[in-house]
Amino acid sequence: MFAIASMNGIVIGVIYALSALGVSLVVGIMNVVNFAHGEFYILAGYFSYLFATALGMNLLAAMTLAVAIVFVFGLLVEYTLIRPTYGDDLYSLILTFILSIVLQNAYLLIFGPYPNKPPGWVRGATDIFGLFMYGNQRLAALVAGTCVIVFVFAMIKLTWFGRIIRATSQDRGMAELNGVNTTRLNMLSFGLGCALAAAAGVILAPVFPVTPTAGVPVALTAFVVVVLGGMGSLRGCIVGGLTLGLVENLGAAYLSTGYKHVFGFIILILVLAIRPSGLFGHKEA
Amino acid sequence: MSQGASILKSNRKNFLYGAGLAAFAVLPWMLGVYNQHVLIVCLFYTMMAASWNLIAGYTGQISFGHAAFAGIGAYVSGILAVKAGLNPWVGVAAGTVAAAFFGLLVGLLCLRMGGIYLSLTTLGFSEILHIIINNEYEITRGTMGLQVPGLTTSYSKISYFYIFLVGAVITLTIVYKLVHSNVGLNFRAVQNDERAASALGVDVVRTRLLAFTVSSALAGMAGALFGHYMMLITPHIPSLDQQFLVLSMTVIGGLGSFVGPVIGAFCLEILSEYIRAWGEYHVLVFGLVALVVARFAPKGLVGIYKAWRGKKRPETA
Amino acid sequence: MAREDDLKLVQGVGITKRFGGVQALSDVDFEVEKGTIVGLIGPNGAGKTTLFNIVAGAIAPSSGVVRFQGEDITGWSAYKVCRRGIARTFQVTRPFGEMTCLENVAVGVVNRQPGCRRSQWTALAAECLEAVGLRDLAATEARHLNVVQKKRLEIARALATRPELLMLDEVLGGLNSQEIQEAVAFIQGLRDQRRLTILWIEHVMGAIMQATEKVIVLDQGKILTTGTPTEVVNDPRVIHAYLGD
Repeated sequence: MFAIASMNGIVIGVIYALSALGVSLVVGIMNVVNFAHGEFYILAGYFSYLFATALGMNLLAAMTLAVAIVFVFGLLVEYTLIRPTYGDDLYSLILTFILSIVLQNAYLLIFGPYPNKPPGWVRGATDIFGLFMYGNQRLAALVAGTCVIVFVFAMIKLTWFGRIIRATSQDRGMAELNGVNTTRLNMLSFGLGCALAAAAGVILAPVFPVTPTAGVPVALTAFVVVVLGGMGSLRGCIVGGLTLGLVENLGAAYLSTGYKHVFGFIILILVLAIRPSGLFGHKEA
Repeated sequence: MSQGASILKSNRKNFLYGAGLAAFAVLPWMLGVYNQHVLIVCLFYTMMAASWNLIAGYTGQISFGHAAFAGIGAYVSGILAVKAGLNPWVGVAAGTVAAAFFGLLVGLLCLRMGGIYLSLTTLGFSEILHIIINNEYEITRGTMGLQVPGLTTSYSKISYFYIFLVGAVITLTIVYKLVHSNVGLNFRAVQNDERAASALGVDVVRTRLLAFTVSSALAGMAGALFGHYMMLITPHIPSLDQQFLVLSMTVIGGLGSFVGPVIGAFCLEILSEYIRAWGEYHVLVFGLVALVVARFAPKGLVGIYKAWRGKKRPETA
Repeated sequence: MAREDDLKLVQGVGITKRFGGVQALSDVDFEVEKGTIVGLIGPNGAGKTTLFNIVAGAIAPSSGVVRFQGEDITGWSAYKVCRRGIARTFQVTRPFGEMTCLENVAVGVVNRQPGCRRSQWTALAAECLEAVGLRDLAATEARHLNVVQKKRLEIARALATRPELLMLDEVLGGLNSQEIQEAVAFIQGLRDQRRLTILWIEHVMGAIMQATEKVIVLDQGKILTTGTPTEVVNDPRVIHAYLGD
């Protein structure tokens, strides 16, 4: 039981990390928490389902298109809703929260309350070190999630865009003085944050089907991971995501299934009580 | 303006408030049972929106746990009445205290960090509460709902109307007194600029904690009363949908204004009764309206009215 | 006869501050004697405002000690430092934009005198506004003020907290030479009438020359020199620090 719970924890932890990366990126650059993060995740799940099932598109193409559409949608949301509130955290919180409820109800209206599931990528299961059989779809999700994370880190470490992101999240004023167009950067990073939520969504939708409100726990977990890892720290997302995934799944296996998600919040409470700036946070309390 | 004139003006204002309240107090006698119910729900939302406005509108901290605190009030009072046979009125008091206690705990945990942490933590708190309510089925009856006794021996809408009217007046009075006290100056200073406030001797964390605890306690009271009025407590009371309604009412009415939440609560509740006729679209409709208002008229209906009057005044003068 | 320590209102010993890898202040020692006006000067980025923030409790030093009237106040929160008797203004003014000027100042009053009534704080706040010449704008929301008026409001708010030490951060920006003369007289008047001690960051050297008894020069996070205004401006190291090679 320990082995399979750990395996589940790692798979889900990678997806948590991926989803949290999107939140953390936006917090680091814009100091905005996107409360509609989970709804972007769900949106991508719905799109990949639609393209693959209803339109019969190639799976990879359907997923890429879904992520691309959510990215553009994110750009639009930043342009219409977030940009005018910039510098006023209060209204960005209010607006993204309202947006999340609006999207949930719109999904309900369009797709109905039933779970929707895009087709799986692979079938069958693999024998893991002779310990247990593990679903190939979950293994594929693990590989895909890891690839996206590696891609994001490579982009941030190696490219010019990544350097700007790092500079801006360290000192916004200085970056502006050095000629960084922070307006465009905000828009891009918000879109990128949404696209990361979308990537998590398309990867996980074949395992956990999407429903209109399924994004709420996803977003909440991403927030817990971000606080645990330290606001704006990308490394923290990886460590935080894996920790949370393992704690939840081991807790569910040994303590109580019903309280699976509460274990995450217990971590949140502990972090706030003991080290409120998180594992990798550099902000002074 | 001379002092005499200003006293005269404030007397006139008080008189108008008193007259309005008196007229409102006789209103239910002229209405049918259904409309009486609508008024009671309006008053419940007035309590919720006005107390949420205390934390969000006057200190600039967004709590997403306001409905959760109402839920704490409702469940604590309801469970005490059902399991311990406690008088519902004592239960309401206990529910209020419980909400204040949890508000204080949550506040202590996250208020020394920035405002975003309060939003995240209260959202998490609300989710934990949901999980607990659903898991502890034996005690809470989960989604089936917990049947609880009413507040009066003989059930009459009119008496509940007055109970909720008193509740709303108490809530509004507490908010008004706090905001217009020395503490109120600190609230607004913290909202405007935390760093400048602390440089002027404002204990920012304590100020936020006070606002948050009082606000949560008032939500607890509203929730407890509402549970006993419905005589059935369901997880809908502490749901995010409820939280969203309260937030929308305050934002559409006017965040940070005294009458804004009252106007918002009445407008949205009455409107939702009409919209309900053509299906459960009201949440979506309110969401879109709230989105537009928060984006283009962040001070809500009250702000629009003030801007309109401000424009009109120079012409008439 | 007063002990030597009584004369030192504020004293900093070995104050060091690092931001990440950047050494903003290293091993700074300074003292401000009671009843004096002390200038704090130095080129941009020398660490003047960082030192200010450390004394005011806005940030904690990495190491070192700040003493106020002999009491160790290192790392106290800003509001406690304020209640202890140190007031500061902000270089980039931070008015409470949606509150009236009177209310802005009243915030300082009510936190130094808890429980005071509205009539009391109104009178005290009005008096502080009067002192900086903003009495007529008492009912105006602070966001409507111009830059110079906002700087005055900063001083009025600081005075409202009844400080013993007043820390001014570049309050002369945007003034012409006539107004600078008036401002210098005003600040000297504050010291004389209210028995204040003043620590003053300023770029306008003429004002520092005229108003201060002592000048502390910071350069690249270190004390370059300390002395009378005349000594300091004639010090070749200071000239070098300002003008470069």
